[in-house]
Amino acid sequence: MENAVVIDRLTKKFGDFTAVDEIGLTVQKGEIFGFLGANGAGKTTAIRMLCGLLLPTSGSGSVGGFDIYKETERIKKSIGYMSQKFSLYQDLTGDENLWFYGSVYQIPRRDLRKRMEELTETLGLSEFTNRPAGSLPVGWRQRLALATALLHRPKILFLDEPTAGIDPVFRRRFWEILYRLADEGTTLFVTTHYMDEAEFCRRISIMHQGKIIEVGKPQDLIARYDQPNLQETFITLISQEGGNG
Amino acid sequence: MVRTILALMKKEFLQVIRDSNMLRMVFLMPIVQLFLLGYVASTDVKLISTAVYDDDRSGLSREYVRSLSAGEYFITDTPEISLLEAERGFRESRYEVALIIPRGFSRKLQESKQVKIGLMVDGTNANSASIALGYANVITRQFNERVTGFSPPITLRQKRLYNPEGESVYFMVPGIVATLLTMITMLLTSMAIVREREIGTLEQLMVTPISATALILGKTIPFALIGFLEMSVALFLGVTWFRIPFAGSWGLLYALSFLFLFTTLGTGMFISTISTTQQQAMFLTWFFAIFAIMTSGFFAPIANMPRSIQYLTYLNPLRYFMTTVRGIMMKGASLDVLYPQVMAMIIFGITIFTFSWLRFSKRVK
Ligand SMILES: Nc1ncnc2c1ncn2[C@@H]1O[C@H](COP(=O)(O)OP(=O)(O)O)[C@@H](O)[C@H]1O
Ligand SMILES: [Mg+2]
Repeated sequence: MENAVVIDRLTKKFGDFTAVDEIGLTVQKGEIFGFLGANGAGKTTAIRMLCGLLLPTSGSGSVGGFDIYKETERIKKSIGYMSQKFSLYQDLTGDENLWFYGSVYQIPRRDLRKRMEELTETLGLSEFTNRPAGSLPVGWRQRLALATALLHRPKILFLDEPTAGIDPVFRRRFWEILYRLADEGTTLFVTTHYMDEAEFCRRISIMHQGKIIEVGKPQDLIARYDQPNLQETFITLISQEGGNG
Repeated sequence: MVRTILALMKKEFLQVIRDSNMLRMVFLMPIVQLFLLGYVASTDVKLISTAVYDDDRSGLSREYVRSLSAGEYFITDTPEISLLEAERGFRESRYEVALIIPRGFSRKLQESKQVKIGLMVDGTNANSASIALGYANVITRQFNERVTGFSPPITLRQKRLYNPEGESVYFMVPGIVATLLTMITMLLTSMAIVREREIGTLEQLMVTPISATALILGKTIPFALIGFLEMSVALFLGVTWFRIPFAGSWGLLYALSFLFLFTTLGTGMFISTISTTQQQAMFLTWFFAIFAIMTSGFFAPIANMPRSIQYLTYLNPLRYFMTTVRGIMMKGASLDVLYPQVMAMIIFGITIFTFSWLRFSKRVK
């Protein structure tokens, strides 16, 4: 199987502070990859480098076969990105947001209408697309953001804490949608805080103070550290690493 | 490309329309500025309250007072008062001018001797004080000629060109048009970009394959159009309400305004690259705008400024635009006269816009 994301010794420094410290991993096409780590571990910074939003300090990487230094424009055409902060236009309606991003992605007009209808239908958003995005409850906002990131049918989808602040029922439905996407061949690169969610991922990495300290299938990691669940595994790993990495 | 720009423009208009603060600013600003500056900040000097101390009390002295108050400049209908009272009135700002006619005024005048009359002016406002003195001089000279039948060998015949009534509104409205266009386009451009950065939509936009060119055009064209709308509102009110004459070509005014916009849109873009919050952008815009307005000749003639500041004004694009707008509206100036201004605006426009374009594209990458 081909690789959707390959990174090697990728590093980002902000002045003296190393936010991402020589991380390396590969993500296969069509897999759901869980990018775990506590707050401030460096997950968002790593994702921003992969999406071509931030220039790495050193190391190498490719996304969808394109180099993260030289081919950011081609990367942008093939990925979808849902940032950790809700970043749709709050004063525009759901439809207007979708229409705007669809136009920016140059989706042919007739296709765009159809795709908007299909997406809002499958995401159960149809009744909410006429309201200002800012007035929607968090769960619906996240679905709208997902719809926006999916409009141009990206091969790889980066989701930065897509379910933060959403109630469990909503989260479960959100993951059902992600599963369906993965079945259709989309690669998903997801960060999350919720360990129960991480068990939905085919493989996960655990990041701590800028470094990736473990990579593997959730059940393998649980077995390797002899813990009852992923939550305990995560805690064991972090306490082993200690406060200073 | 075109589609992306149109999408951005539509989005920008929708946002302005849905934001009541923005809407208020866009539509109230031209009206408030026009009426505030057109009426309140009028520099016309009229109806000067004048205290008269007439120690001569003759027919001739009374006639002199009458001729002084005949026009609309001096009002002397305050009762005749003592010297002491005149002084107190001055301190209390009840009078701006005091006229003192000494005893023997009419006798000396009839004997063709030299007479001195006193005129005290409140110099707090240097500008209106000198204007009041000017009026008094002219009226006195005319009175002189009438009474003595003698006219001095040299007389100055004055004629005011372009604005015969000396109405300050005629001068202010073109200035307001120029400053409005400057402020609104600079402010909207810088705020719109910084707001997107602040709420995170700029990042979302940056992961799309949008080009820097499309982004810049989509972020400047809407505000240029709004600027033209504002300018048209101000001009419409100026012509219909204030009845200012419009001597020149409308087409030329709009064409040169378009040229000038490159400097303000460029500056707005530059401000957005050096601010991280909307407050910062707003503050910086005011800073730039106030500097530009103060050294544009809007309120005070540039020739009255200290020499060093005068040199500084050459660096201010608004200075050239101010001359252009006033020239076209008041004097009917055409391109052959405005040629130096146009050249300056082209140079500033290209320089500022290109510089900001490059800086913005680099920051965005
Ligand atoms: N632009 C930046 N400048 C300086 N420090 C930053 C910047 N962005 C992130 N950081 C720092 O890098 C660290 C990792 O942040 P982030 O990648 O957002 O972590 P996570 O997403 O895992 O919570 C944090 O300590 C954060 O303060
Ligand atoms: Mg984060």
